[in-house]
Parts: sequence; C-alpha cells; structure tokens
Amino acid sequence: MKKLLAGSIFAFMLLVLAACGGDDQAADEGDNGEPQDWEPEESIELVAPAGAGGGWDTTARMTAQTLTEEGIIDQDIGVVNQPGAGGAVGWAHIANQGDSPYDLFVSSSPLLLVPLNGQSDYNYEDFTPIANVIADYASFAVRDDAEWDDLNELFEDMKEDPSEITVVGTSAPGSMDHIQFIRFAREAGVDISQISYVSDPDAGGVTQLLNGSADVFSTGVGQIVEQIRSEDIRALAVTSEERLEGEILSEIPTAKEQGIDETFVNWRGFFGPGDMDEAAVEYYEEKLKEMSETEAFAEVRDNYGWDEMFMGSEEYQEFLEQENEVFEEILDELELSAE
Amino acid sequence: MGAIEGILTGFEVALSLEGILFVLLGVFVGTFIGMLPGLGPISAIAIMIPITYGMNPTLALVMMAGVYYGAVFGGSTSSILLNAPGISGTVASSFDGYPMAQNGQAGKALAIAAISSFIGGTISVILLMAFAPMLSSVAISFGPPAYFALMLLGLTAIASLSEGSTVKALISAVIGFMVATIGIDPQTGTARYTFGSTNLLDGIDFLIIALGLFAIAEVGYLIINRHKKSITDAKQLGSLKLSKQDMKEIAGPSGRQSILGFVLGILPGAGATIASFISYISEKRLSKNPEKFGKGAVKGLAAPEASNNAATSGSFVPLLSLGIPGSGTTAVMLGAFLVLGVQPGPMLMGDNPEIFWGIIASMYIGNVFLLILNLPLIPYIARVLTVPRPLLISLVIVFSLIGVYAISFSTFDLYLLLAFGVIGFLMRMFAFPAPPFILAFILGGMMEQSFRQAMTSSNGDISIFFTNNISLVLIILSVLSFAFPIIKSMRQKKQEA
Repeated sequence: MKKLLAGSIFAFMLLVLAACGGDDQAADEGDNGEPQDWEPEESIELVAPAGAGGGWDTTARMTAQTLTEEGIIDQDIGVVNQPGAGGAVGWAHIANQGDSPYDLFVSSSPLLLVPLNGQSDYNYEDFTPIANVIADYASFAVRDDAEWDDLNELFEDMKEDPSEITVVGTSAPGSMDHIQFIRFAREAGVDISQISYVSDPDAGGVTQLLNGSADVFSTGVGQIVEQIRSEDIRALAVTSEERLEGEILSEIPTAKEQGIDETFVNWRGFFGPGDMDEAAVEYYEEKLKEMSETEAFAEVRDNYGWDEMFMGSEEYQEFLEQENEVFEEILDELELSAE
Repeated sequence: MGAIEGILTGFEVALSLEGILFVLLGVFVGTFIGMLPGLGPISAIAIMIPITYGMNPTLALVMMAGVYYGAVFGGSTSSILLNAPGISGTVASSFDGYPMAQNGQAGKALAIAAISSFIGGTISVILLMAFAPMLSSVAISFGPPAYFALMLLGLTAIASLSEGSTVKALISAVIGFMVATIGIDPQTGTARYTFGSTNLLDGIDFLIIALGLFAIAEVGYLIINRHKKSITDAKQLGSLKLSKQDMKEIAGPSGRQSILGFVLGILPGAGATIASFISYISEKRLSKNPEKFGKGAVKGLAAPEASNNAATSGSFVPLLSLGIPGSGTTAVMLGAFLVLGVQPGPMLMGDNPEIFWGIIASMYIGNVFLLILNLPLIPYIARVLTVPRPLLISLVIVFSLIGVYAISFSTFDLYLLLAFGVIGFLMRMFAFPAPPFILAFILGGMMEQSFRQAMTSSNGDISIFFTNNISLVLIILSVLSFAFPIIKSMRQKKQEA
C-alpha cells in the first residue's frame, strides 16, 4: 500500500510537472566553462517521444529505474511522455532545449525514417547521440497454413507477381514496418516498387493475417511470439545476424541463413540536444555503459526480449550515418522521400 | 485447465481480500476521473500505469481493468450534466441525457445512466465469461471489406440524428468527413491538409472536436441566452427515484443494447462509440414515439449507456485472447500489460489463467461496486448544476482545456479547441446539428482506411465488398436502413394525399 501511495504521489507530481513544466528548462543553461568532470546538479528529464506503455516509454522508464536503484546516478530522473506525430512532437521539444545537459530522450529507427519521410522538421543530425543500449529485431510472419515454407519461396512468388501478395504492418508506408520488409525483398531481387503494402493502425496485422486479408505481417519479433506459440501463425525469418535465444525465438531462422544477405536491427538508445556539452555527453555515455553492464538491466532485457547492443557516442554517430544512407536509398527507390 | 476450473481460479483471485481492494481502488479512481469533463479512460489508465511498476501483475491488471470500465461508467456524468463528453463512447448519452438535466431531471438522468451502465456491464461480463474462449474467432472475422460495410451502416444513422433540415445535417456530416482526413494518411504516408504544421500530422483528436462542438459551444449559447428563464430552471435536480414505468422503459433497451454493444465491442476498431450510436439509432427506430428522442427520452439515454459499457467488456476479447488492441484506450491497456511483463494473446488463458479469468471475474464485483459507489453519490454530483452559472461555465472551460492539454501537452490543441468551440457555436446559431459532424468524423477515418485496404488487397476490384458474406449482409442492411425512412415518409404522404 505504501508503494502505491508513493506511486500515486509520484504520478500526481508528474502530472503537475508536465502541466506547468514545458519551457522553464531552457532557462537553466549551466556554464560550459569546465569541459572535464561534469556532474549533474539538478534533476534529469528523460523524454519518451511517445505515449505510456510503448517501446520507447518502457526503455526510458526501465533505464531511469536501473540508474536510480543501482545508484549509478544520484540525481532524480523523471520520465516524461511527449506523444505525437510518430515522435516528431517530442523531438521538436528537445531541439528547443539548446545545450541543456538535463534533457535526454530515447529513440530508435523512426528517428531516421520519420524525417526522411518529411514528417519531422528535425532529424538525427540535430541531436547528439549519447549511447545505444538495446536492440530488437523484426520478423516476417504468415498464416500457419500459408503455402510458403521459407522466405525464399515467398520472394520467388513475389518476383513473379509482387502485387498478388499483400504485406501488412501497423504503420504507414515509408515507416519502419514497411521499410524493414522492403530491405529484404530488395536484397532478394523483388521489384520493390510493385509490392502492395497496407497499413492497419487500428486492428493490427495479426487480425489481417488470420482472416486472410493480408498474406505477410511485417512487425517486431516480440509482438508475435504468442501467436507463433499457439500455432496460428509462422515466422518465415527474423532479421538478426544470428538466431535469437529463447524457446520460440531460437526456432525462427534468420534471413541470412536462408541466403539473403541482409539484416535489420531496431536499435534503441539515448540522445541529447544538438549542442550538448562534450563533458556531459561523456558523463552520460559512461553511466549508460555502466548501467548496460549491470545484472539488473540484464534482467530487464530478458523480461522484454531485448538484446544487448551498446555503442558509445562516436560509434553510434557513424552507425546512424550508415543506416540513414540505406534508408535514404530505399525511400528514393520507392519515391517516398520528402524531396 | 478446463474453463470451469479457470473461472473458479478467477473468482479466487477476485474474491481474495487484495483482489477486492484493488478492484475497489481501480473502479473508484476510474469512475472519479471519468466523471471529470474532458478526462476519459485513456487519461485514467495512463495516470495509473506508472503506479503499477513492480506490482503483482494479476492484481495490477485487475485494478487497471477496473480503472478502464470505471472510467466508462462515470464518463456519462459530464455528458449528462454539462454536455461535455470525456470519451467518444458517451457522446450519444448526451443527446437525451443533457436535455433531461436541463429539464430539471438531472438526478433521474444520472440514475438511469448508472442503472443501464450496470445492466450493460453485467450482461456483457456474463457473455464474456460464457463465451470468451470462442469469441476470438468473432474478433478476427472482420476483414477490411466488412469494416467498411459496418461503418456504412453506422453512417445511415446520420439521417436519424438530424432534427429539422436534412440538408443541414448532410452539410454538417460532409465537414466532419473532411476534418477526418487531416493528418498523415496511413495508406500512403502522405500528410494531408496539415499546411506544413507538425501539430496536425496526427490529425485532430476526437476529444478536441467533441469538447469544442458540445461543451464550448454550449457555454457560448448559455452566455448569449443567460436571461432566459428556462436555463435558470435547470437548477432543479428532480427526484432520484425512478418510477416503475421508468424501470420498464429502461429494461428493454438495456437488455437488447447490451448484447449489441458487446458484439460490436469485440470487433477491434469498432468499439464503444459506434456501438452507442447504433444502439441509439436502433432504439429510436424501434420506438413508438421517436419524436421524443433528443428531448430527454429515457430510452434514448438507457440505450447508449448500456451499449457503451457492454462494448467495453467486449473490447477485452481481442485484447486478452489475441493481444490486439482495438482502440486507443485498449492500446494503452495493452501497454499496461506489457509494462507488467504479461503478454496477452492466445496463450494467456492457458499460461496465466489467474490473470485471464481473474480480470473477467473481477468485473462482476467491479460493476456492483460501481453501482454502489455511484447511486448514493448522485445527489451530490447533480448538485454541480446548482453552482452559479458564471462559475460553472468557467469550470467547464477550465476542465475542457485541461482534458485537451492532457492528451498531447500541446498548446496548439488548445487553440484548436477554441476554434471548434466557435464553429460549434455558429453551427448552433444557424441550426446545423453537431451529432452528424461528430459521427462522420468518427466513422469517416476508419471507413476510408478500410475501403482502401480492401481495394489494395483486391488490386482495385470492387467486387470484394460483395463476395464477403459479412460485408454483403451489412451492405444490404445499410441499404434497408437508408431506404426505410424514405419509404415510410412516402407512404405517409400518400395517405395524407
């Protein structure tokens, strides 16, 4: 009960904070005099540019919890949800924080794709990558009684007539669900401009697979484990480099072992405002590395089916540039890019 | 584990001391937040999620479910008293509930809402418990063509929602459709009518439109007409007691519409809103005095209330048995499950029977609690209307602003709310009905998307709508529903001639 009370007070404070916060962080620009040994002197705000309960939100909350409970960072860390426009609203908020070393946010592939689609005024170059922490992977699923036994059979049929097969995802064309499938189809030699893709944000892809409205569901592998276990659907491939661990997951073959030389990682990590001080970046990078190596966070990863994928600031920056290039090429081919 | 054994496990959870406490806590918080204008189940659940971190998953979820249906239960209060719906499912409750409150029957209206909500909740839990294992196949039976046809059927209600000029109702509906297209189009990823503003990329939230067109517009109307006597009369709360005649009138619609609401609630994406509208219309069609609807008819309030509560229980079917969220609210619920490390889906019933059946069993208790909590409170809640008008009006505005701000924490949305308030006020002044606008807005978005999904998968062949059985039946029903009033009025004219 005590925990509950504390929790409700916390939730209430969050509400109050969210209601009257907003602009006052911008005023707190610390001095950037000493580049070494930066330490936070006030509470840190961790923005999840999405609603409560999603992947970004969970990552932010679990990170804040681990950092606090393991005593890695002493300052208070508050998680704030800023949903809207696939992340663009939250990114715009951070981009307006100048060089504040107290405003971090969590993001993943959509930070590249959404701006490339022209739906965000800010892209990854407007922010400072601090560290990547985790990864999860995509999977392509079909109905259990579907005619295709592996990814190659599916792509062979698609090469003959791509429009005969409907691919479904939860998000719009040009977004992650769509592009992750396209990456593999392209590698296999399918004419990607002919692929028929529908987006079903409401009912979701599983329904469309099960009632026969769509043939392939492109989604995060964690989303379909239960339906695979109940033998309603089958996963043709997972997009990771090697097979995943876990009782159901380890049975899904990678695309690589089926001869399609492509991988897709939905990385997830932390960023700060564009002009964040180098000493602060270094500080957070180190702390996040420390957190990533704790047993507590290993347990969190297991709980949510995430993989460990740590990258420091510099490595992260290079990785983002490469990923962005691949996405840009694909979107150009699909004629979906903003310009 | 057999179903009977599962149900027993469920009751064991729900009837344990902690179980009862958490259900009580959940429904109390839910119904309280739901009663506030502008705040609905989404806000209630989102507020509670951080509290559940680290809690026992079964109890936490029993509580969260209580928050959800508790908020729906309480949601009608602000619709009835202030014409300020907090969720889309209670818009239809304001059509007759608000006039009743204005006629000095606020207490009675709240009592009707509470009793029919209780009936809807209870009947649907019985159905849920009896058929849950089989219902998941119903939830997936609707493909895009069937959804399109269902939305079409819902749209035929526009004619019935209009009082006076049909042309004005149609104009209102067309504008509703147009507003529904604002934002990123999910089928192409193209931004439509956003004028380059990121604020509009997600489209306009339902709540902004509902609060603008109903609550803010009503405030404007009250200010303009502040010297009219009829408005000050609304201070009378009326008796709470329902006559035998009233109970009889409630029984029929509540029973029928609970079943309809439940079935529509099972369909992902359809849910409480469409259920409450279709229930309202069908009761109006069945009624011997349809002219009373919209002016404070008991049936016109009981039907949508029973239906939206039943639909809420129904929405647990795709959520629990398929892991599919069918609405914004159940998506947040799904988030709550995942946060607790529970993956809802086809294996949940077998793997975690205590969660699956515990939630369902706790709904019986939750509904009883809700009735006990709500009925004695009605006189106090209804007293809101005795607050001096200027103060009450300011409160409505403040709560509407808070409700809208809580969705996205965006000040842009507040301006939008005011803009829709002005539009709603002008519509009232020139006798354009708001319900068709809101109905077209709700149905339009889904209708367009399912139409295009269907056309994409059929490669542009329109016959897909007629080869699917469900969609064919629904299209025939739509045609009948559309033609029925026309034929009826033609006959009347003939007789008069």
